[in-house]
Amino acid sequence: MKIKFLFVTFLTLSLLFALGCNQTATNSGSGNSSAGDAAKKRIGVSLLTREDDFYRELEAGLQEAARQNNYELIIQSGDKDLSKQQSQIDNFLVQKVDAIILCPTDTQGIAPAIERANAANVPVFTADIAAGGGKIVSHVASDNVAGGRLAAEYIVKALNGEGAVGIIGQPEVQSVVDRETGFKVEIAKNPKITLVPTLNGGGVRDRALKAADDLIQGNPNLKAIFCINDETALGALAAAEGRGKTDLIIVGYDAAPEAVAKIKAGTALKADVAQQPHHIGAKTIEAITKHFKGEPVEAKVAVPVKIIDIESAK
Amino acid sequence: MNRAFRQKLGGLAIFGAILLETIVFTTLAPQFLSFENLINVALSIAVIGILAVGMTFVILTGGIDLSIGSVVALAGVTAALVTRRTELASLGFAAALAVGLASGAFNGATIAYFRVPPFVVTLAVLTIARGLAFIFSEGRSIGSLPESFGRLGRSAFLGIPFSVWLMISMFALGWFTLQHTTFGRYVYAVGGNREAAFLAGVKTKSVTFRVYVLNGFLVGLAAIALASRLGAGVPNSGLQYELDVIAAVVVGGTSLSGGRGSVVSTLFGAIFIGVLNNGLNLAGVDTYVQKIVLGIVILLAVLADKVNRAD
Repeated sequence: MKIKFLFVTFLTLSLLFALGCNQTATNSGSGNSSAGDAAKKRIGVSLLTREDDFYRELEAGLQEAARQNNYELIIQSGDKDLSKQQSQIDNFLVQKVDAIILCPTDTQGIAPAIERANAANVPVFTADIAAGGGKIVSHVASDNVAGGRLAAEYIVKALNGEGAVGIIGQPEVQSVVDRETGFKVEIAKNPKITLVPTLNGGGVRDRALKAADDLIQGNPNLKAIFCINDETALGALAAAEGRGKTDLIIVGYDAAPEAVAKIKAGTALKADVAQQPHHIGAKTIEAITKHFKGEPVEAKVAVPVKIIDIESAK
Repeated sequence: MNRAFRQKLGGLAIFGAILLETIVFTTLAPQFLSFENLINVALSIAVIGILAVGMTFVILTGGIDLSIGSVVALAGVTAALVTRRTELASLGFAAALAVGLASGAFNGATIAYFRVPPFVVTLAVLTIARGLAFIFSEGRSIGSLPESFGRLGRSAFLGIPFSVWLMISMFALGWFTLQHTTFGRYVYAVGGNREAAFLAGVKTKSVTFRVYVLNGFLVGLAAIALASRLGAGVPNSGLQYELDVIAAVVVGGTSLSGGRGSVVSTLFGAIFIGVLNNGLNLAGVDTYVQKIVLGIVILLAVLADKVNRAD
């Protein structure tokens, strides 16, 4: 029994070791040859996730700008897990990085970890998602409220200011709630547009499909749906197409390649609010550079969004 | 009261509950009882329903399978990737079935022949399958597929969508297998009293293994129904399906300790939960409140089972 246990432990450890070696190898490969350069600034990055296009683009923006400024980035993914992100921050502090970039996995929950960084005098910057506490030098993000307003403007125009409109949202995420807020504010300016109760699609395609099914079913005169991201929009599109409801107007958010292709193809997905994640990454590095030089940095940097429809997608 | 009568009563209880739900929701939202909405309800429980047939077999043997949601995602992603590569949706769907069968065989072999607790094995497969789904898909949905991939999910016969037909036929097949085949009787025997079944000459290991393989097959089918309807392989689809499915089985009245229950009661359980979700959505009830309602319902169902067993 004991020997078996030892054997399993040994196997696990050697597996971890092998994976670890692999990891370091790739890191140093993508890193820089001048690793011994003591003057080179090191920046710890903890992303929300690496599993969607948005964050891939944001990461690319960070890396490109960091390369130009000759910074070394230590990029990790919080995998949407607060405790994982906390320990990543603690590791950055042990590694004595010169700055930290965070895309918080939990707006409120991340505050104590930021306070630890504040105590260690390491400047913290947030990108895309804001933090609810601790001292942040600068927060760089899309103007999500403006994005929601743009979507509403598009729908109001397409409906000639009249009809029932629904939202498939995801109330757990602050940036998404901002989109909803902007959307509702703009819609409220149009007395002839009615807003039916918002459903939660969880930001994932299969749940959004179900929500859209119920939304369309429960509101026979529904004319348009605002979806808070593209996975949601593509789920809603599948629901609309499955029911032959091609006259519905769906507006998504993020302008992922698959969604843009659907807009170009003339489907019920008519428009998308496009963020500029690459730009967010670049702007974050720009803010850090300013901070390193001792120049004043704006506490909030709003990166503009734009709307894409069949005309502008071509 | 004798036990048979008691079980009949249990079956009636869930039926009565569905009736009560229907009355409440029809009052709250008049469109509830329309043909379109009933199709809508059937459509929304189709994937969970297909999975619940397999889970009923698993739970009847006293086992559990937590991996199904992740395997649905992995099989869906595989189907999408194969379809993209070969331009043949049929090959993609075959690949999804293969993924389902393979994971079922892995689960079954580990549980039956290496005697690892089902909870642990399938929990491990849950995270492995989800990880593989993200790796294969590079973390993003595989969409923009040939038209044929989504055709199945969009097709309907006699006004009833394909996935609903698939669910109905799986329930029918599952019912027939459990009630009218030797294998079905063995499933009950293994779950009721493994020792006794073994001594009576039932090859308990083989039965357990085959139940998980069967379940894997159904997971593959459910993945096809979902992916085809979505028109894409989505790595983060199927999240927490295992909970919905187990809830449907348990609410229907199948005992988690094995040996007691049926596919028919699972069907009622799935309908009950589907109607509950749909009705709460139509009535505009807050999604967080919906979660609480569902939790209470599951709790009540399990309590009812315990009370039933007490004597």
